[in-house]
Amino acid sequence: MTLLQSLKNIVRSKSIHVAYVDVGSCNGCDIEVLACLAPRYDIEQYGIYVHNNPREADVLLVIGAYTPGWEEKLQSLWQKIPDPKVAIAIGNCPISGCLFNRPHTLVDPPVSKHIPIAAQVPGCPPRPTEILSAILSVAPTVFKDFEVRK
Amino acid sequence: MKRTVDVSIPIGPVHPCWKEPARVKCETRGERVISAEVELGYMKKGIERIMKGRPWQEVMFLAERVCGICSVIHNMVFIEALEHISEIVVPERAAYLRVIVNELDRMQSHILANFSYCYTIEHETLGMYLLDTREKVMDELERITGARVTCAFIVPGGVRFDLRAEDVLHLRASLDILEQDIKRYTGIFERGPMIALRSRGVGILTQEAARESCAVGPTAKASGIADMDRRLHHPTYQKLGFVPISRNEGDNFARIMVRFQEVIQSIALIRKCLDQLPEGPIRGGGIPGAGEIAYSGEAPRGELSYFIKTDAAGRVLEISIQTPSIMNIEACCHYMLKGVASLADVTSTFVSSDPCIACTER
Repeated sequence: MTLLQSLKNIVRSKSIHVAYVDVGSCNGCDIEVLACLAPRYDIEQYGIYVHNNPREADVLLVIGAYTPGWEEKLQSLWQKIPDPKVAIAIGNCPISGCLFNRPHTLVDPPVSKHIPIAAQVPGCPPRPTEILSAILSVAPTVFKDFEVRK
Repeated sequence: MKRTVDVSIPIGPVHPCWKEPARVKCETRGERVISAEVELGYMKKGIERIMKGRPWQEVMFLAERVCGICSVIHNMVFIEALEHISEIVVPERAAYLRVIVNELDRMQSHILANFSYCYTIEHETLGMYLLDTREKVMDELERITGARVTCAFIVPGGVRFDLRAEDVLHLRASLDILEQDIKRYTGIFERGPMIALRSRGVGILTQEAARESCAVGPTAKASGIADMDRRLHHPTYQKLGFVPISRNEGDNFARIMVRFQEVIQSIALIRKCLDQLPEGPIRGGGIPGAGEIAYSGEAPRGELSYFIKTDAAGRVLEISIQTPSIMNIEACCHYMLKGVASLADVTSTFVSSDPCIACTER
């Protein structure tokens, strides 16, 4: 690895854009993601910028248990995110469906059936610090040696 | 024929300002909105279908997860409906503790709604102040109930945990700080000239329109309707001498101000509860039995109704939930958004009505 490449790896791991998409949750996890913005957790001090524009995002936070309304829409959203990209499942819902995965339900978990998931944060809902540490642990690997990998 | 509509602009389902997926289709002439339609269906999980035929112990947790922001009131209304069916008596201390937790939940929900609005009108400083203040409320909620969001604090016949003496002291100290903070932010919001430009006179919902669209909660209170607050019918709130607040402007500014005022009111209610908090047990006896009831309570967004039918074993045979956001989204799309001057105001007007898509669709 060249010096330039390792420098790029360091710099890029400190500049992560995050988008979140709710594919059928109870809203609890959305709010905990939003709470990461609060000055107490201050997600931006790690160089992570949360906004909700998939076309600029590097990390997609997937929240919720995949409802039929997102059929094909989630895939098209995933394709809109430029490479390199990763998806993180936030909460129990995208992992197992949690409480909603029962007889007569409409949801279709896990979300990993529909888009590739790189990391999972279990919890109902997970604490903002857990969400933060998941993003931080994934962040260095998103861009790592991207040109070489290509 | 003269073409009156220029463009039909869809906003959403994934939008930088919105927490949840919903699509608003606006028919516009220039930038002025002529009519708006909301398109839902991204969050339908079928919670009521799952609930049917399940024991109340499971439905209790499902009810809480209808909405993650106002989970305490869903828990409270479901459990109080069960108690009314089975004639379970709640100890007085538990009834007061329920009100304390419910009001803390209302505070965090209102502060979050106001944060969303400030974030949408790009007043990020005030938004971040509010989000930081919300964390203080969440700390108190966690200290009392043991969880931040889905706490399952209220159980048939009482509450799960007692309030210890040191918790009371901590809560009182926090309430002082919160009151000071919220009053300061209310002042910033009320007097900010830029905020007024984006908020005053935007998205007006007249009193007649509010009545026609059956708007509830802060949306209706901002239009001068205060008599529909379900807390007026709750025995514990009646003991506390609860009087709902209202404003007459009916615009975005009024809706946010009503929420600020309700936070101050909630602080006063919690203080009153702490003053009057009687000693005694926090749990009575009783087993949920057969019966049916329609029961409602006041969620942060307005009236929340449950219709429940149970059998002798405590299984929920029929359940139907009516959440406040349905009416408020209706009022927003058909009355508030009409004639809004620019597309930037569409998002802020939609957010000012505090729509909760998760509990609308369930």
